[in-house]
Amino acid sequence: MTTEPVESQPVAASWTRWLGRPGRSLTRRLIWLASAWIVVALTLTGMVLTSQFEESGLRRLGGVLGTTVDEVLLATRSGATGVTTAQIQDSRTLRQLSGKYWAVAELTPDGRLVMLSRSVSLWDAEMPTPFELPEMLADARGKTISYNARGPADEPLRVAASVKSLTGQANPIVFFAAIDRSNIDQDTDAFARVTWIALALLGAGLVAAVFTQVQIGLRPLYGLRNEIAAVRKGEAARIERAYPIEIQPLADQVNRLLAHNQEVVERQRTHVGNLAHALKTPLSVMLAEAGSQPGLLPDVVRRQSEIMKGQVDHHLRRARAAARAQGLGERTPLGEVLDELAVMLERVFETKGVEVDWRAPDELGFRGERQDLQEILGNLMENACKWCGRRVRVSAGPTGLGQMVVVVEDDGPGLPADRYEEVLKRGARLDEDAPGSGLGLSIVDDLVKAYGGRVTLARSDMGGLKVLLELPAAEV
Amino acid sequence: MRVLLVEDDVDLSRQLKGALSDAGYAVDHAADGEDAHFLGDTEPYDVVVLDLGLPKIDGVSVLERWRRDGKTTPVLILTARGAWSDKVSGFDAGADDYLTKPFHTEELLARLRALLRRSAGIASATLTCGGLRLDPRAARANVNGEPLRLTSLEYRLLHYLMMHQGRVISRTELVEHLYDQDFDRDSNTIEVFVGRLRKKIGPDRIETVRGLGYRLTPLAGEAEAA
Repeated sequence: MTTEPVESQPVAASWTRWLGRPGRSLTRRLIWLASAWIVVALTLTGMVLTSQFEESGLRRLGGVLGTTVDEVLLATRSGATGVTTAQIQDSRTLRQLSGKYWAVAELTPDGRLVMLSRSVSLWDAEMPTPFELPEMLADARGKTISYNARGPADEPLRVAASVKSLTGQANPIVFFAAIDRSNIDQDTDAFARVTWIALALLGAGLVAAVFTQVQIGLRPLYGLRNEIAAVRKGEAARIERAYPIEIQPLADQVNRLLAHNQEVVERQRTHVGNLAHALKTPLSVMLAEAGSQPGLLPDVVRRQSEIMKGQVDHHLRRARAAARAQGLGERTPLGEVLDELAVMLERVFETKGVEVDWRAPDELGFRGERQDLQEILGNLMENACKWCGRRVRVSAGPTGLGQMVVVVEDDGPGLPADRYEEVLKRGARLDEDAPGSGLGLSIVDDLVKAYGGRVTLARSDMGGLKVLLELPAAEV
Repeated sequence: MRVLLVEDDVDLSRQLKGALSDAGYAVDHAADGEDAHFLGDTEPYDVVVLDLGLPKIDGVSVLERWRRDGKTTPVLILTARGAWSDKVSGFDAGADDYLTKPFHTEELLARLRALLRRSAGIASATLTCGGLRLDPRAARANVNGEPLRLTSLEYRLLHYLMMHQGRVISRTELVEHLYDQDFDRDSNTIEVFVGRLRKKIGPDRIETVRGLGYRLTPLAGEAEAA
């Protein structure tokens, strides 16, 4: 398949593709092969048909010429004085330049033709004879030969020549009969014209049929490609449609590959989680132990543990983001996640009396994994709860083009605008005075970017920080 | 104050035990899920610190069992992974607060103090309406024994409706009682919250009386049983 990022290729668009791109197109290959075969076959057919038609015309002329030769032969007298031929009773041979001629000639031993008599119609013109006629006559061994020539009125002629040995004559006598063949030529031309036009139409029709056939035949492939594109874009989890038996195995293999991918992603995530678990408890111990004692060593241990914790968090996040980049076809209802987080955070911040007011359309969903949406919104909403006066507002809506905007804001003191950029960076922490996890904004930024989204900070009209998230949306 | 500490890491347990004792708590320690479940089931603790990654039975299951048995002791969960899905499942199981490892000991102590203050709130009678039960002390509600997950607005709405069950309450009245002064008082949002509440407690418990407001009534079958 092609490597350029063609998202979808409707059948009609492959026209330009077929005409425009040489080389690796299946359509092009199939159509070229079929077209070449069609052109060769139809050309041969046309040639055979026209030549057959012409030959049958000439055979008809040959019959007429044979009769004329016979008549001339009958009108010929052979005597001691030589050969004399009377005019035959054919009106056309008696009319000057009528297009029907005869002649009688003597073939001398040195290979020359000496004309003895000719039809009236020839008038004083010679019967046209090709230069190599004597040899042709010799080769023919008594059979009648035919050839084309130009007549006295420059008309196309069909000439029959027959060699006879007449009694009393030393040299063989050649009897010629000629007839205008322009009718036959015209007929042949007309036939050829009609035949070629018909064959050209047939050819064009066949090529069009092949084209259609290839398009229809390859349509499941385009369908498969579109489905795979949909999977890559996260709109579908697997190949769902049934395909013809020739490519169903391909679809099955793709599904198997997808399943395998998913499994690898899951496994990686589990490893990552286990590693986090394994490292964080010891880090907790070191932090607590060092925190409980004064001195230089505990200070160093505490500082280094904090750095380790940051590093572990960062790298685990990176690994998860990498695993997620190939996350496939998941969709998560936004309302559900907002609801569970709101319930949970209100309980956690109950002493403070925090109220989380969330608004999102029921059918709005996040095109991605639930865990990731929980991570993004959990961090932002927890942060808002931590810093708010009493109220946190989360509102979401689709923006079209498969995107949505989620806004998380609070009525706290907010953040000066010149620090917005800094807090999105890795490791930057805004709550150095508050123990526990950091602002989590860098986690959010990493995750949102992994989904091709964007995080923007602004001041809320409630007074506090307003975080705008652009995320891929899906209907649920 | 008695606290049950459930943590399988030896060093962390020793540290936390020390810190909790220093802060004046009577500490019991369980190193696996089975012990924890047994202790929590038999002893009257004031608060529980529960690690989620435990041998034998994991923390979430232990918590679920306690809650199913009607234990309302506040529980703070310790999560190592820091993933929100873990926190959410912990809360679904009935946790009251969480702390992500690694944490500072002072943070844990502060959270425990807050939990204890909260659970020591003013006691008042449990409200019932058919299969619905609402415990104002714990700010918890359940329907037919299944815990409900409510946001504070939904909780307040349900609380108000239950206090005035059987009576038709207008939207204006609800707006006035549910929102602070500075909240955007849009009576349409009441519809949104009633809709969400219906999804959680069942669609037929809150009746819409056209032009007047809403009325909470027990379901037909439940009225006699209650």
